[in-house]
Amino acid sequence: MIEIGLIQDIISTFLLLVGAFFVFLGMVGLIRLPDVYNRLHATTKIGTLGAFGVMLSIVAKLGLEPIGVKAITVGLFILLTAPVAAHMIGRAAHRHGVGLCKESVIDEYGKEHNK
Amino acid sequence: MNSLIFDISITFMVIAIIPCIYRVIKGPTIPDRVIAVDAMTTVIVVILGIYSYMQESAFFMDVALVLAIISFVGTVTISKYLDEGAVF
Repeated sequence: MIEIGLIQDIISTFLLLVGAFFVFLGMVGLIRLPDVYNRLHATTKIGTLGAFGVMLSIVAKLGLEPIGVKAITVGLFILLTAPVAAHMIGRAAHRHGVGLCKESVIDEYGKEHNK
Repeated sequence: MNSLIFDISITFMVIAIIPCIYRVIKGPTIPDRVIAVDAMTTVIVVILGIYSYMQESAFFMDVALVLAIISFVGTVTISKYLDEGAVF
């Protein structure tokens, strides 16, 4: 007979480690990648998987208490708005004239709009 | 044991702000800085969430929600300004 608290602890720790791992990956990408668009690709993962993973970890730990409900609200809000903000800043950067890095192979959006 | 892993996690999140500050200072273009500030705000929201759990106080989660909303509105505003030259 396994008690319910142990299962909650295991799920919460696992989700917290997943969130911290994706924050780590985002920070490595923010330092190392060569281009605005590549860095944007790396840092969007912090919003979706990192923050949502940590908030799900708090929900799995606490359940339907006030902190848990607010945590799932914050997580869903970040999950919805981070890709929208990333899309808008990426499009604005491209129209503002920020170039791609040297290793880029193709630029479909630029070909379409610079005719 | 479980409190220990939350301690380690919040320390790691605080250390993860340093690359964002590096990118804000060094970043060659304006979108680089905006992306770095956006990532830093998300990390601060995560810090506030973990701290709200550690202190067992629901008010820090309100602060996290407001900070997330302000970060989204600020990023959209700056990107509209860069795109069209005017906010509205």
